[in-house]
Amino acid sequence: MPPPPVAWTPVALAADLQPGAAAGVVVDGAEVAIWRDTAGTPHAWEDRCPHRGMKLSFGFVRGERLACLYHGWEYDGGGQCRYIPAHPDLDVPASICVNRYSAADAAGLLWVASGTGSGDLPDPGDPLSPLRSLFIDAPLGEVLNRLAADGLPGLGPVVESAEDGPLLNFDQAGHRFVVGRHPTGPSGTALHILLKGEVSAEARAAMIPATAELRRLAEAGR
Amino acid sequence: MTRPVLWNYDLDDASYTVRLMASLAGVDVDLRAVDVYPGAEHHSPGYLARHPLGRVPLLEDGVVQLRQVPAMLTHLARTGPRGTGFLPADPVGTAAVEDWLAFAFRDWLALSAARSASIFGDGVDLDPLRAAAIAALRVAEDRLVAQSLLGSGFVAGSAASVADIALFPGFALSRDSNIDHDAFPALRNWARRIRALEGFVTMPGIPDYH
Ligand code: FES
Repeated sequence: MPPPPVAWTPVALAADLQPGAAAGVVVDGAEVAIWRDTAGTPHAWEDRCPHRGMKLSFGFVRGERLACLYHGWEYDGGGQCRYIPAHPDLDVPASICVNRYSAADAAGLLWVASGTGSGDLPDPGDPLSPLRSLFIDAPLGEVLNRLAADGLPGLGPVVESAEDGPLLNFDQAGHRFVVGRHPTGPSGTALHILLKGEVSAEARAAMIPATAELRRLAEAGR
Repeated sequence: MTRPVLWNYDLDDASYTVRLMASLAGVDVDLRAVDVYPGAEHHSPGYLARHPLGRVPLLEDGVVQLRQVPAMLTHLARTGPRGTGFLPADPVGTAAVEDWLAFAFRDWLALSAARSASIFGDGVDLDPLRAAAIAALRVAEDRLVAQSLLGSGFVAGSAASVADIALFPGFALSRDSNIDHDAFPALRNWARRIRALEGFVTMPGIPDYH
């Protein structure tokens, strides 16, 4: 399986991965398990258990470790296998280790990169209000062109839009939208959408139908 | 008092939905195993006399005999010591719960159909079933995104209701039909909240994390 890109890619809203939770994400075709230990530290690993290849994202967090769903092997934050339930007294060999990537929280997003990551993570700056992650079965380029030109459908004209590395910023309906761009594959896109400043929950909830409409239009190619 | 009797098949998702609701509501039920596979006991004359439609589950509670899952869920919520929270009392809350309960037993059944075809179906065209399942998942995801923004973790109202319980198995079992949870972060977090409810139980195919 290919590793994720060396450049940082946003893969989730930071708030959507809670301490003690694990989830699977696909980054440019690479399957990555993301998880937070109970202290909240994020981890990103190859989504494949060294034992029999089960997806580690199906596993569960036990304190500082991720346990595989299949046979319960437990891996510590360094990716090192520390416990094998079938052989509880075994001193696990150091060679049993998960392939690790880099994971970081920045600007309300959770970021993943191969190696130590290239490029700078965005500066948090002003407070941000999360809107949602939106998964669309259409290529990233097409989705971004549509978003930069028209923003969210039905919310009026886009005043200004600018790409800022892995982020797309645009102004619409009196709000500044900050969108993390996440290609899942050649024909799949995830957008992780936030708003600058404190935006009320009611105002954000009212935007959800527009995001669904964006997904529908992008997938219809219209 | 005699306990309700649930005619049940362990691997059936509808039977699991009722076991889950009973456990959450604090109702002890007597389970009677129906040998659906390979025995086809649900088509035997003895079973058909109780349930002419030949399906599992079937819930019998005194004079009450229920063959439809939504009626079983509301009955258990109404009668269980921990059940009342799963049925709101006010008209607005009731309306939302009934709407999402109907969704669970109409549109959401696409998930069950996709799973059955993936596990048992020979030569069934899976693509349309999976497309319908994903369309339903997106409707629930969009709803839960809005609900979470407004401070609720559940599809209707601010607490887990019979509608959430009706929806849970279809999502938790969707990987059986190769539908991953990656694209549904709000559903994923909602499923964690359901798992944390007092009395939560699993079925084969739904791992117990705790
Ligand atoms: S495959 Fe992970 S523990 Fe066996």
